Amino acid sequence: MNRVTNSMTSRTTLRDLNMSLGRLQERQADLSTGRVIRKVSDDPTAAVDAMGIRNEIRRADQRSRSLNDAQGWLQTADTALVSSLDILTRVKELTVRASNTGVANPASQFAIATEISGLRSELLTIANTRYLNRPIFNGTANGAAYDSASGVYAGNSAVVQREVAPGTVMPVNMNGQQVFGTQVGPPGDLFAVLDRLQTAILTSNSTAMAVEHGNLDTATQLVASAAAEIGTRAARIDNLRTRADADQMGMRERLSRLEDADIAEALLNVKSSENAYNAALQAAARILPASLLDYLR
Amino acid sequence: MNISGLYSALSGMNAHKRILDVTAHNVANVNTPGYHRQRVTLEPAGVTSVSAIFAGRSQGAGGVNVASVDRVLDELAESRLLRETAMKAHTSLTSTTLDRIEQAFPEPSDIGIAAQLDDFWAGWSDLSTRPDDLSSRTQLLERSQTVIDALRRASVALDGLEESSRESVGRLATDINDIAGRIAELNRTIVGSATSANDLLDQRDLLVTKLAELSGAISRPADGGQIDVYIGGRIIVSGGITQSVREIAGVLQWSSDSAAVTAPASKASALAETINDTVPRYRIALDAVANELVTSVNTLHLTGYDLTGATGRNFFDPAGVTAATISLSADVAGQPEHIAAGAPAPGIPGRFDGERARAMAALAGAATGPDARYRSMVSTLGVEVRTAVRRDEIQGQLVQAAANRADSVGGVSIDEEMANMMAAQRGFEAAARVLTAIDEMMGVLIQRTGLVGR
Repeated sequence: MNRVTNSMTSRTTLRDLNMSLGRLQERQADLSTGRVIRKVSDDPTAAVDAMGIRNEIRRADQRSRSLNDAQGWLQTADTALVSSLDILTRVKELTVRASNTGVANPASQFAIATEISGLRSELLTIANTRYLNRPIFNGTANGAAYDSASGVYAGNSAVVQREVAPGTVMPVNMNGQQVFGTQVGPPGDLFAVLDRLQTAILTSNSTAMAVEHGNLDTATQLVASAAAEIGTRAARIDNLRTRADADQMGMRERLSRLEDADIAEALLNVKSSENAYNAALQAAARILPASLLDYLR
Repeated sequence: MNISGLYSALSGMNAHKRILDVTAHNVANVNTPGYHRQRVTLEPAGVTSVSAIFAGRSQGAGGVNVASVDRVLDELAESRLLRETAMKAHTSLTSTTLDRIEQAFPEPSDIGIAAQLDDFWAGWSDLSTRPDDLSSRTQLLERSQTVIDALRRASVALDGLEESSRESVGRLATDINDIAGRIAELNRTIVGSATSANDLLDQRDLLVTKLAELSGAISRPADGGQIDVYIGGRIIVSGGITQSVREIAGVLQWSSDSAAVTAPASKASALAETINDTVPRYRIALDAVANELVTSVNTLHLTGYDLTGATGRNFFDPAGVTAATISLSADVAGQPEHIAAGAPAPGIPGRFDGERARAMAALAGAATGPDARYRSMVSTLGVEVRTAVRRDEIQGQLVQAAANRADSVGGVSIDEEMANMMAAQRGFEAAARVLTAIDEMMGVLIQRTGLVGR
């Protein structure tokens, strides 16, 4: 049997008390910070996972801003195209009226031509629609897409893309030529057609009117298909948005599970560490002072 | 009837008084560090060890002699304690050092370099949706500066750690020389002391332990109760003569021939490891993060187009590819319009092109990008810190076990001292009683002799 000396007892007791108190402190820190990983060395694997997830969450946040932006673009474009189609319906009505009845009536022809001219500038205004002060139909170029008088396209054919899902980009714009037709012609784009239509009506040129009527139908179809395209993209964005939100929730949950303390468990841990510490203190208080001296007279 | 019985009893009283003295000394030193309990060895008086006809027979008076007062210790346990203590000095300094490095990288959090990098990439992403917007450009510049500051701060923290380690080596050299000098002095005193030098021996052992913690020194017994002390196989104290060490540029070396001191596991070896391995390793890793950031961003930026339609500009200064020197290039610093957000299309992209900025933001998820590199560095650090802390805890337990082992032989036990004290007390009382008895007998003799028949 080894000798047991006083210094051994006090050294061992002190160390045990220290360890017990240290554990209590750790558990209390879990509770007070609400986090189980406070530094990397607490759990290197989980900590690095947590860093990775934080990075992903941050990128997902950015993506969701990007999705918002894409939604804005597409909604603006959709509104613009739907009103364009309304206007074009009206133009078609007027054209039909002009070619059927109006030939004999110069006054009504003039009125129709004037209205078409007004509708044309309205369409030009729509073609210059801006989202966040940025024209949406001019690619990436600066300034207005169309000259509001001559209708000359000033934009480029660049694609504006947004990241909508990890590694997936989607074009959110359509340039003016895709929507309103290419300006090299004949027949040129919608605005050129409207220009010529107006002239044909004014001059009561029924042959030209018929030709432009056909061109108008083609141009309208182009706008309609652009509207359909935008609609499809918007629907896809809505879909992605739902998924992105779910993904983000999932990631936040994973992060929380990695980093955050389970309060009930933490409380329980603190309590049991506290009990252990108290027990150790009591034991120390009994063992340390006892010695033969107590019994010597 | 022999009068020598008186002297035997007297020697018994003296011997037990001596035992009580030693007990008192032991009890007084119960908490003295490095103290070993002392024991009185008694031997019957008048016994000669010279072999002769009467050897072993009591030569006359009898009684008891105090043969010696010795320290009680287990050499093996003591030398194990010495080594474990030196190793503990190494592990505890290593874990403190790594802990300090870890504090320079507060992860995972919203304030660490990882979060700053995330903000930086988010800035590019914002710019990609609003390339014409000066405020998102300015914000990106600010975030870049934050990343730069964070990297530089981490680099400065590493520098500071290395600097303070070098200073520690300087203080270490002074301490080693001081302790070696004191050991040599004790050596001289011990060899010259006529009486038992137990307490001096304890003091010397304590100094050797301190020296072992600092430098991993070990001692070997030499002539006349002296010891020789060695560091890494080279002698530093030989009897009363010492060799000195000094610190030159953070390296501990022998003053005599400027050879580096090869210290075994100890504070000195931990410091050398910090200076030569740990800090350089993390500096290289951190520099790799900075380098990757500068290179990958510049590569994309050089071919991108800025708001003025110009291309070929660097974003970061290509000369600063370490964490300490990273900075914005003169082209973009303070000139947000020079940030290239546009990608080279068939021609010069429009003012509103944000494709290059979008590609830049995608670097956040690059498999070997700065973020991934930084994470892998932090992961290595985390594992290393954890290992070091564990090792230190285990070493602490080993030291405790070794100390207990040594203490179980050499430590003072109050209970035992009390028992010894009682035994000595009783011995003293008994001897005194014998003295009284003999005195009474002599008294009877003196007073009654010749009175027969009166």
